[in-house]
Amino acid sequence: MNKLGTIIRFTYGSIIRQKSFVVSTVIFLLILSVLAQLPLIISMFSGDNEADRIGIVAPDAARYAALMNEFYGFGGEPSMIIEPVASEAEAAERVENGELAGFLLARGSANINGVPDFEYKSKDALPMKLGELGGGLQYVNQAIARETIGLTAEQAARLSAPVNIVPVQLAGAAGEGKSESEIQLAFGLVYVLLFLLYIGVIGYGNTVATSITAEKSSRVMELLISSVSPMTQMFGKIIGICLVGLTQIALFVIVGALNLAATKDSNPLFSELNINLAELDPMLFVYFFIFYFLGYLIYAAVFAAVGSLVSRTEEVGQVIMPVTLLIVAAFMLAMYGLYNPNAPFVVAMSFVPFFSPLVMFLRIGLGNPELWEILLSIGISAAGVYVMSWIAAKIYRTGVLLYGKLPSWSELRKAMKAFDV
Amino acid sequence: MTRLKLESVVKQFGNKRAVNGISFEAREGEIFGLIGANGAGKTTTMRMVLGLIFPDEGKITYEGKPYSAELKSRFGYLPEERGLYPKYKVCDQLLYLAELRGMKRADADRELKAWLERFGVPENYGRKVEELSKGNQQKIQFIAAVIHRPDYLILDEAFSGLDPVNVELLKETIQDLKRRGATILFSSHRMEHVEELCENICILDRSNAVLQGSLREIKRRFPRERVVLATDRPVEGLDRIPGVTSIKRLENGYDIRISDERAAQKILQRAAESAEVTRFEVMEPTLNEIFIKTVGGAAKYE
Repeated sequence: MNKLGTIIRFTYGSIIRQKSFVVSTVIFLLILSVLAQLPLIISMFSGDNEADRIGIVAPDAARYAALMNEFYGFGGEPSMIIEPVASEAEAAERVENGELAGFLLARGSANINGVPDFEYKSKDALPMKLGELGGGLQYVNQAIARETIGLTAEQAARLSAPVNIVPVQLAGAAGEGKSESEIQLAFGLVYVLLFLLYIGVIGYGNTVATSITAEKSSRVMELLISSVSPMTQMFGKIIGICLVGLTQIALFVIVGALNLAATKDSNPLFSELNINLAELDPMLFVYFFIFYFLGYLIYAAVFAAVGSLVSRTEEVGQVIMPVTLLIVAAFMLAMYGLYNPNAPFVVAMSFVPFFSPLVMFLRIGLGNPELWEILLSIGISAAGVYVMSWIAAKIYRTGVLLYGKLPSWSELRKAMKAFDV
Repeated sequence: MTRLKLESVVKQFGNKRAVNGISFEAREGEIFGLIGANGAGKTTTMRMVLGLIFPDEGKITYEGKPYSAELKSRFGYLPEERGLYPKYKVCDQLLYLAELRGMKRADADRELKAWLERFGVPENYGRKVEELSKGNQQKIQFIAAVIHRPDYLILDEAFSGLDPVNVELLKETIQDLKRRGATILFSSHRMEHVEELCENICILDRSNAVLQGSLREIKRRFPRERVVLATDRPVEGLDRIPGVTSIKRLENGYDIRISDERAAQKILQRAAESAEVTRFEVMEPTLNEIFIKTVGGAAKYE
């Protein structure tokens, strides 16, 4: 136990003090801060901009412009202003001068209401305003149609009265599950946490494999296993690196939270997505840590076993490939599950080791699994961790002394029989 | 007192028998020499003693008891290939290794400083291993093996990469450790080192122990086949003496190979008749010669 502590401390200390680790963490934190402030930064830029002016060249240009401006004025500050222009040549010249962002040009063939087809001419390769312009023209079209039919203003308002639909989740017979804003919040949070889970498992799993192979290739391994049992050593390493991971995640979470807290009132992220931090379910974080540990441990054990089989760090990449693919598969499944948390396949996979940590966490966040389902999944994952660690320890015990080419399965099996773990 | 005992130890790797029935024992305060060409089974034997791998047959006992995990802190090991973290500081990793052997950090730190002082390299304390010269790395490796005062010290090619001055320094240290009661298993390609340090040896050849016992007895078992003769003037007719196989002329004498020890007396007689003999010696075979003879000149060894 004492030695386990020594190994954990050494593993943790030596990674934390590495310059590359410090630098990459700082860079990541900076990127995180920028990303968190990005909506604010964007809104600051767009806030300075005046509405785009867009010309219209058509037989009835003045009327069209008036109607469209009326339409854009509905939402408060208009995002664009339409003004009639006499000829295409003049409009083109004003675009050239920068007075206009672009212009609409009528092109023969009118529809049933007499509204012609339009071309939008501008300097943009992919005009972003087409949707908005289309909306404006549609409004013009409706207005003309209204006039032709002879509807009163009230009749017209009835026709275009808005309808609303709000999703409400059912949870068993108990009644309603999560509210809309809860689901939105859970979706965002689960998305972020799934990513952390995925990156954490894949990144730190890699570190486990690489650092074991490095000890093997520098032959310090022989000294280590002649001093401590390989089992202790493997777990010391896995736990030490796990702590490094948690340190890093804790830093990310703290910096992320500080960023959000600092801009809580002005950040459009909150107002637009309708996110209210008070609705956060603290249990979700508890489950996150439970499943993070389970996920990390089961994959780290496999990474450790695989890392112990090769003799040189250059070879690590090849052998961890299948393990990485397994994690990617679990992640893809979880991403699919984000939109279909109750699909039978997703539910089934939440009880399969290697998949359960990611998938069950997602179901907790977005679906409404029964408590026994959660406990069963945790139990199965924990059993998976236990079995995998036992197998990994066997392989590790054997692998760390094998140098040269990768051992074949039969060689490995034979060698494994020789050791009790 | 017998500390370490191997009885008919066998280790099989796939189809290859790496060690085929080796037995020997080593006392407290003894340096036991393991000699053999590359691939003869030395490292495998040492790894079995360290409990890194287990013998398929036979048994190894430590003070009469079988291997147990508690022994780990009493082992010291210097592997043939250097085994240190290249990127970590000397102090960090040596204190770590010492702690893993059950030492307290503060004690380990004091010992480490004392050892660095003794080897004349105190400035290496805070340096990274990859920054050190080959010889200095070997010193650090040696300290890693002995810092916790092990009862069982396994030294696999301890002197590789060292200059003659440092070889002497290490030899003295090893003898010190022996006097303090350590049981030392020593392997080397350099026979003169084994000859100087070890009382008992075991020569391995292709997984088998081909010769073992006390060095003195082994030497006695081998015929004396070399005569060194120095005279004030040349001696004629030495080559006609029966039993003389070859004669090499030296600056002021001869190095004569004989196939029969009785020829030596005849050489002395003949030399005394025609010149003044300033030196006459029937040489004991060196371990090097014994090794080559036993393992066969064909066996490659370094």
